[in-house]
Amino acid sequence: MRNTLLLLRKDLLTLRRSPALLGVLLAYPLVIALLIGLAAGYANTKPRVALVDRDGLPERVSIAGFSFDVNDTIDEVARNVRLVRLSDDEARRQLRAGRLVAVITVPPGFVATLQGLVRSPHLVLETTTGGVAPRVRQQMQALVYSLNLRLQRAFIAADLEYVNLLLHGGRGTILGQDFDVLGLDGAERLLGELPRGPRLDRIREFVKDATLALDLTDEAIRATATPIQLREVGDRGRTWSLSAQVQSYGLALTISFLALLLAAGALAAERDENVIGRLARGPVTLGEVVSSKVALAAAIALGLGLGVALAFGVVVELGGVTGGEPWERLPLLALGLALAGAALGAIGCLVGALAREARTASLAALLVALPIVFLGLVPREVVPPAGWLSDAFPFAHAVRYFGAALYDTRPWDTLVRETLWLLGLGGLAWVSARLAARRLSA
Amino acid sequence: MALVGPNGAGKSTLLAVLAGALRPTAGLVERSPGVRVGWMPQRPAHYGRLTARENLELFARLEREPDPDGAAERLLARFELPADPKPSAHLSVGNRQRLNLALALLGDPHVVLLDEPTAALDSRQRRRLWETVAELREGGGSVVFATQNAEDLHRLADRVVSLSGGAAVFAGSVSEYERAEAERSTCVTT
Repeated sequence: MRNTLLLLRKDLLTLRRSPALLGVLLAYPLVIALLIGLAAGYANTKPRVALVDRDGLPERVSIAGFSFDVNDTIDEVARNVRLVRLSDDEARRQLRAGRLVAVITVPPGFVATLQGLVRSPHLVLETTTGGVAPRVRQQMQALVYSLNLRLQRAFIAADLEYVNLLLHGGRGTILGQDFDVLGLDGAERLLGELPRGPRLDRIREFVKDATLALDLTDEAIRATATPIQLREVGDRGRTWSLSAQVQSYGLALTISFLALLLAAGALAAERDENVIGRLARGPVTLGEVVSSKVALAAAIALGLGLGVALAFGVVVELGGVTGGEPWERLPLLALGLALAGAALGAIGCLVGALAREARTASLAALLVALPIVFLGLVPREVVPPAGWLSDAFPFAHAVRYFGAALYDTRPWDTLVRETLWLLGLGGLAWVSARLAARRLSA
Repeated sequence: MALVGPNGAGKSTLLAVLAGALRPTAGLVERSPGVRVGWMPQRPAHYGRLTARENLELFARLEREPDPDGAAERLLARFELPADPKPSAHLSVGNRQRLNLALALLGDPHVVLLDEPTAALDSRQRRRLWETVAELREGGGSVVFATQNAEDLHRLADRVVSLSGGAAVFAGSVSEYERAEAERSTCVTT
């Protein structure tokens, strides 16, 4: 341990004396993280939208004689978003934290109004601000349009039934009342049967009644065009660029590149400086040399990650954006940063030991980091094998850890699971790196 | 003891194996318990971004010197190494070689293994090195060095081992080695 710390101190001192290298090491991953995080986070995932049911939607709803399965209908019309049912408070909290791009609320009395067929009920939409908001709004409009289209068919069919009733007569129901309708056909029949005279007046009166009845249905028919209207309210969430997703990906991307490159380069540099033989012949074991590079990666990941998190938090504070717990959760985040940095550093050591030369090691580390990161960015639901492969590397676990540490109300299950993953993967990489490190002194 | 032989004979490899920096592919190196070995590889082995003092202090700590700062100070003075904050990568070739030698002497070794120790030294520094080796020998220590330099052989060696193709082809005193070399030279001439 003492030797590991001595070598770590030396590496930090060396790093401090290489300002150009330090600058590149810090700037490069940040730029990459920003670019990839923005592109992948925006383009490759379905926006996460909360459905808040304040009306207590039943499993099936009967409208105008048509029965709808509520969940099936929602799934069918919400293909372009990931709709999650949340409580009112939780949805609002996650919207403010940037974990949701929108909240759509079903207000009390929605179904009853819909079944009444007289007025259009409202759904309430709240979205994030920033560049993604127009896209979300469009998607929500498309969702409501799809829903309207399905309802419209039912409404039109029901309206046609009414018209049919008036034309042909018979027994019908409207607004819950059953009645018999003579119908224009029946009236015509009666007209034909009756001799001309005062009875004609009655028939004329019926025609008036029929006209009035058709007038009454006019509003209902117009309602079929827009059974549901979308009304947007003013309460706004965190801009997408400051969201939990961007922060988690940004942190994981930054430390992935940094830890891998740094550990690989630092281990190979021991050989480049011809020092590995002097160390390994006695005063320091190869295990301690590898551990010192893992510790270096963890320390730098911790420092830089906390710096990014602090900068992010300051921007959020200055912007007056609410949501998330960036300050209270920093200790949890610190643990995750160190763990992820160490696990990635161990992989970097393996790369460095196999490459043997610092320049080759840096290039190889970059080539290793890119697929690890890209695999982690591919949505699991789109390409499941990418998700399974990604589980074999620390990046995806780091993303989940950071997201849970920063924004989940109850993060413990995720944190424990991802901590175990990171420890396991890091341990495996350390053992492999230690075995491969023999090549350095050969 | 001097190790001599043509390039590629295995002198540096043998010294690295004796130092414990390389694992032998065959055979065994036995070392008596408590014997400390110092090793100076042919190519300087220190951290280029650390100063000479920082290198000495770091390796002194790793070698568990009781007073690492004091040991570094003594070796800086003994080898006339610059004490300024210049990174060791920017030192002259001779200074880097002296730092390399100073690092080998950390921990008061009983046996010092030197790989071409005078190759990059000027005549003054070479004399200083001979003095240092003489002090070690007088103090009961042993010095094994690889060299191509006849003067080193005369000044430092009691015994000579000649290597060729990774095997020892001669072992004896310096005078015996010179006789053998003279005979071989005569044979080649005739």
